[in-house]
Amino acid sequence: MNTFASICIDGVAYGMILFMISVGLSVTMGLMRVVNLAHGGFAMLGGALAHFGMAALGLNFAAAAALAIVVVVALSAPMERLLYRPLYRMGELQQVLATIGITFLMIASVSYWLGTSILEIRLPSTLSGAVNLGFRTLPADRVFVIVIGLIVIGALYLLVERTRFGVKLRAAVDERDAAACLGIDTAKVFSRTFALGAALAALGGIMGAGLLPIDAYYPLRYMVLFLVVVAVGGLGSIAGSFLAALGLGVLDTAARYLAPAYGTIFFYVAMIVILGWRPHGLLGRTES
Amino acid sequence: MKATLYGLCAALALAVAPLAGASADTIKVGIIAPFSGPFSIYGKQFKEALEVFVKDHGTKAGSHEVEFIYKDSTGPNPDVTKQVTRELLIKDGVKYLGGYVFTPNALAVAPLVTQSQTPTVIFNAATSIITKKSPFFVRTSFTLPQVAGPMADWAITNGIKTVATAVTDYGPGIDAEKTFIKEFQAKGGKIVDQIRMPIKTTDFAPFLQRIKSDAPNALFVFIPAGPTAFSFTKAYSDNGLKAAGIQFLGTGDVDDETTLQALGDAAIGIKTSYSYSAAHKSALNDKLKAGLAKLHPDSDANFATVDAYDGAYVLYKMIAAAGTDGPAAVKSVLGMSWESARGPVSIDAHNRSITQNIYIREVAKDAQGKLENKEIATYKDVPDLGQASK
Amino acid sequence: MSFAPRNARLRDLALLLGMAVAAAAAYYAFPDNLAFATRVIIMMIFVLSLDFVLGVAGITTLGHSALFGAGAYAAALCAAHGWSEPVLGVIAGAAAAALVALLSGLFLMRTRGLTLLMLTIAVTEVLGELVNKFSDITGGADGLDILMGPIFGVLKFDFRGQVGYIYAACALLLVFAFLRVLVASPFGLAARGIKESPARMRAIGAPVYWRLVAIYAIGGAVAGVAGALSAQSTSLVSPNVFDFQLSADALIMLILGGAGRLYGALFGALVFMSVHQVAASVDPFNWLFIIGALLLAVVYVAPAGLLSLPDLVKRQLRFSR
Repeated sequence: MNTFASICIDGVAYGMILFMISVGLSVTMGLMRVVNLAHGGFAMLGGALAHFGMAALGLNFAAAAALAIVVVVALSAPMERLLYRPLYRMGELQQVLATIGITFLMIASVSYWLGTSILEIRLPSTLSGAVNLGFRTLPADRVFVIVIGLIVIGALYLLVERTRFGVKLRAAVDERDAAACLGIDTAKVFSRTFALGAALAALGGIMGAGLLPIDAYYPLRYMVLFLVVVAVGGLGSIAGSFLAALGLGVLDTAARYLAPAYGTIFFYVAMIVILGWRPHGLLGRTES
Repeated sequence: MKATLYGLCAALALAVAPLAGASADTIKVGIIAPFSGPFSIYGKQFKEALEVFVKDHGTKAGSHEVEFIYKDSTGPNPDVTKQVTRELLIKDGVKYLGGYVFTPNALAVAPLVTQSQTPTVIFNAATSIITKKSPFFVRTSFTLPQVAGPMADWAITNGIKTVATAVTDYGPGIDAEKTFIKEFQAKGGKIVDQIRMPIKTTDFAPFLQRIKSDAPNALFVFIPAGPTAFSFTKAYSDNGLKAAGIQFLGTGDVDDETTLQALGDAAIGIKTSYSYSAAHKSALNDKLKAGLAKLHPDSDANFATVDAYDGAYVLYKMIAAAGTDGPAAVKSVLGMSWESARGPVSIDAHNRSITQNIYIREVAKDAQGKLENKEIATYKDVPDLGQASK
Repeated sequence: MSFAPRNARLRDLALLLGMAVAAAAAYYAFPDNLAFATRVIIMMIFVLSLDFVLGVAGITTLGHSALFGAGAYAAALCAAHGWSEPVLGVIAGAAAAALVALLSGLFLMRTRGLTLLMLTIAVTEVLGELVNKFSDITGGADGLDILMGPIFGVLKFDFRGQVGYIYAACALLLVFAFLRVLVASPFGLAARGIKESPARMRAIGAPVYWRLVAIYAIGGAVAGVAGALSAQSTSLVSPNVFDFQLSADALIMLILGGAGRLYGALFGALVFMSVHQVAASVDPFNWLFIIGALLLAVVYVAPAGLLSLPDLVKRQLRFSR
């Protein structure tokens, strides 16, 4: 029983981090149909800037995190206009090549600027250490991640279901051309969504730094992980990403508790089974 | 007539002698390490260490000028490594080689260095079997068994009776685990759990929770240096093992000086065994650190630094003794002992690996409030323990 | 696709001859860099196999290194267990990789697009884990080092890498000729048809699924040849043959050169590896800047790959008149 509870808690915490980083990717891939392999780069940039804010500028955690997210959003706007917009019309292979190129440039920039060692992000003392839940303790930063993750998904739900932007976003994802015909400025929706995705990635990178440490090669290390979550969840589906991230997180954690000798085999076999059963992901839309 | 002849010869000899003394031939040494990619920290540490060495000892070894040529191995890529080694040997005409961070890379070049009779100093790769693969390999780093054995002994001596081991599930991890368990059990200790963690693990909470429920006196861990070691060490305190009184014993890979500060105060109290700590108190170590600080103020001296520095020492000694004669060069350093920045060291005459002191260190705050690996116990003259059993 | 078979065949023969001449020229021009040249050739074979699978037949895969690795380990295990003749090892490698491709293809070819992409990655990861697990057989993370015997029992691998280079170059020419013939054949036409529109192909009665499995298996065999050659020239195989980075690099090289025409594979591999070699010797710390910029330049200027540059230039000249 104890192990079961542990698996759930640790799995959910892990899953939340995966969700926060991957949800932006799912939305942008579903909306713009761009294979954006540079998404992990935004998470890394967020983490690197937060590290810089704390280590070099002496800011506290909250200020550094806020600064990092703002800077990443500011960077994403010109990137979307200059680099990504031409990609919308191009084929998948070109998108893969270009976004890999962008990833390489991000990695090269960060390693030039901050070196190749780990860029740690010190959480404030209230968030370090452990929280006693009675039958076991949970690291405080995991609790924090779970809370933030729930806030994020709640906020996203409100944004997508209850705001005008959300309506336009859903329309553009479902039927891009029809939406454009109805007067929705799809270009604006795209750039706003892209900025949102980048912001979420940056947030996820900062929050997840305890688990997925930030260093210059972060995007290459974890790119596959984020793609798996997005593919299993289904492109364009926020709820799908949430389910996939939590499910995979719990599954991977369970495997590590119960059968560590088989490592990541369980994770990938699960992925193969799920995608075999539902090729468009758990909640993905079939391509029109 | 004869006197004139002799006189002429003597005069010629005298005329030529200064030229002979002055004509120092240049011997090239190829250094192969990752200079790009996620492991480029090794290349950087090696290069900086060699720069400090050259500053301290000059560019001459004996009567020969020494020139270092650096080539990028890009990471654990034996095909690339073999290619650049071949290029160094054929194109650049190097007579000595140094570097080699990863075991497969070293193994791949073994036939090349044997065939070309090129003495090769291993600056890092830590598997015992490497020096067996070619009689021209000399190692100045360490091996996992060499480091893990003393930790087991220290544990028993300090009242630790039960241990749970957790290692990364691949060669070096298994080596460390086997040696630790063998030594620990031989001295009466009990192993309550043996965990092998997949290489790609990012979330160590399950393993640490499992250890926590095992409730041993201590855990023993090996994880290769880098982001995963960092995550594990953080997770140790985050999951309350520190508070539960389970001591952290590990190899120095988890807290080498380039990642130590990043671990933060949560790392205080963890104990690791290793061949080098930047906090080692000796004049030579201070000199090394000062030299490094002068050339590269932002760098931290760690095991890679001293392994390369000592590697250069061995290379210079070989060059001075034997010039371009490979077999003679290796022979000249067998059994050689000297004082290094890490302590007294020697090259084992049988297995050509380094015999050195292994230190048990504890993470503590130094006088400036920064974290350091404070040496709390010393095991003298530990040979490569992995050779004995194989 | 020309319908004047004789002209096309003559042209292909001439180009093949040209390749042989170029290989010989490289042999004499770069006698000290044969190790690098051999690596480039092995990569060319690997990217050719990817071009066949992806460029011609449209199977999107980021898991091609699974087949490369299967070939490498098969060849190495052959040598480790007494059959150290290299050509035998290559055949074993091709067969093993074809088998892996066939078995995985049976379920992979039922999917498309991003799903297929992710599944190919999953297969590679699982294979890599298995290799690590069964370290008693495979040597685990430290790798399995092998001693290669002489080719056909006569030609020993020499220190300078001359024999190795010629061996690899011959393999490249054979593989290229084979693929060229295959692509120009009705089988190849069917593959192109499937890439353009599987629905239409089904409508005319072509067994799309089984064709795709066959294509994947054949492509796999070629990738296995590349893997076997790599293991033999390094005389060691280690789990890095299953690296995701390898699949990604091959994809980059293919798109860089231009997918679908086989020549793009050769060109892309040559350019990418040469740039890496030069940049690494100048400043290895910052080579990612150069390659990142190169990739972006190619995508925005010549999206169909470097091979399309001559056409682009021609079109520019025509417009500017």
